[in-house]
Amino acid sequence: MGKKPPLSGSHATTLALKKLATEKEVVRRKLVVTAKKLRRKATQLAATAREKERVRRKLVVTAKKLKISHETLEKKVFERTKDLEQMKAKDEAILASIGDGLVATDKDGRILMTNKAFERLLGWKESEVRGKFLSGVIPMVDSDGKIILQPRHSLKDISATVNGASGSTLFYKKKDETSFPVAMTVAPIFIGKELMGAVNVFRDITKEKEIDKARSEFMAIASHQLRTPLTAIRWALSSLKRENLPDNLKKLVHTAHETSTQMAVTIRRMLMISYLEESATEPEMVEMNLKAVLEKVVRLHDAHRLRNGLEIEVRCPQDLVAETDEQLLIEILDNLLSNAYKYTPKGGKVKLTAALQGMMIRIDVADTGYGIPKEEQRKIPKKFFRASNIASPAASGTGIGLYMVYNIVRLIGGTISFVSQENKGTTFTLLFPS
Amino acid sequence: MSKHVLIAEDDALLADMMGKILSKKNVRVTITYNGQEALEALEALEKDVPDVVLLDVLMPVLDGHGVLKVIRERHVNCPVIVISNMSDKMTKEKCRQMNVQDYFVKNDMDDEALWPAIEKYLR
Repeated sequence: MGKKPPLSGSHATTLALKKLATEKEVVRRKLVVTAKKLRRKATQLAATAREKERVRRKLVVTAKKLKISHETLEKKVFERTKDLEQMKAKDEAILASIGDGLVATDKDGRILMTNKAFERLLGWKESEVRGKFLSGVIPMVDSDGKIILQPRHSLKDISATVNGASGSTLFYKKKDETSFPVAMTVAPIFIGKELMGAVNVFRDITKEKEIDKARSEFMAIASHQLRTPLTAIRWALSSLKRENLPDNLKKLVHTAHETSTQMAVTIRRMLMISYLEESATEPEMVEMNLKAVLEKVVRLHDAHRLRNGLEIEVRCPQDLVAETDEQLLIEILDNLLSNAYKYTPKGGKVKLTAALQGMMIRIDVADTGYGIPKEEQRKIPKKFFRASNIASPAASGTGIGLYMVYNIVRLIGGTISFVSQENKGTTFTLLFPS
Repeated sequence: MSKHVLIAEDDALLADMMGKILSKKNVRVTITYNGQEALEALEALEKDVPDVVLLDVLMPVLDGHGVLKVIRERHVNCPVIVISNMSDKMTKEKCRQMNVQDYFVKNDMDDEALWPAIEKYLR
């Protein structure tokens, strides 16, 4: 290319102006773009601000709601706490008001809580014993002061009144080392199916024991005072009976002797009941030939039987051996047989049957007598009960015999039942361990 | 010499009746009405030790247990038969420990049963 001709002055200016205009245009365009960008940004910012405002408002509302919820919750918690405190106070007041001593332990036997009566009866404050082993703090002793060990492993099985091995009295030792007789009930505490511990409710039975003792002493003295003159009367009448007396006197003496004998039996039974009720009698197990015992009882009542024109049949294997308290068994059979004779009309029959039934001995005393009216059968063996149908036709009775029999049967670990039909007869069935 | 029985029984009617029953059987009888009298009688009898002692338990002044104790100290082998109103096991056991030959409850006995009960000790 040829050399450019030099520019004239105006041309250069034009060029410069053109260039300037171009540059201006570039800047303008840039500005337009920037302005667009800015507008967009501004729009975005406005939207954000709006969003922020929305969220803020929401937050304010939520905060207000939360505040209300919080206040309600606080109020509810307060109310529930108050309720619970009232309930607790009520429970505590109830526990405190129980006249009997109460102690709850965990499953290891550590004391969880006690009540006021516990503190009063034993002299220990709850704060002194909480967390300690119950058996360590309050030893259980027998009447000789010997400590009775309380098995802890059997807690699950506890659910009944606790007594000594043979119904003997248990004592609790107080803080001051003195002791008092207690009656107690121990029960397991379950939450759901889980064993949590045990609760023991006990009371001081000193007064009851004193009354029992006084009663027992009274019975012993009274029975002795009654028995002694009665024995003399009986012996005197018995020897008079053998004297050569006119018939009318003989009959009188005979009746007097029988009556005094009956009275001696009644006194013996009353004394026996008193001993049974006090659990003062313990069976003395001995081996015996049952047939010999049955025959002995039958012999005791032979005079009565012959007088009433009754037949007796005894069925018992010759070699049947029983191990029980002979005196108590005789007392049972003596009563049943005497009742059978008493309540069977002339010409009737009484059957005494004994046999081994598994591990038990079964004795049936069956008569063909008046029977016990159906509606009155459930009253047996109530003390002093006598069936209405025998009050007039049959001999005298006190209504303590069967009551005593049922008590004795329990004592020798047996059971007794009967079936009876009016004017057909009664069968008593005795079952006891052989 | 005929056989000799010492009776210690505070019920006079009963004691006398026992005496009468035994006298009829040609037995010599010494009757006392409490434990103390029984011991004094034993003392007085010296060598004429009774063949049998019939002893009550509950008696005034000195009871049967007290009499038994002295008898067992002085006349170890003298047969003692207790005839008492006490039918409880404790009293019976206490007597048994003092080696009484027999124990009868008055309530279960009568005059006819007395002689058969002691006859064997008088043979």
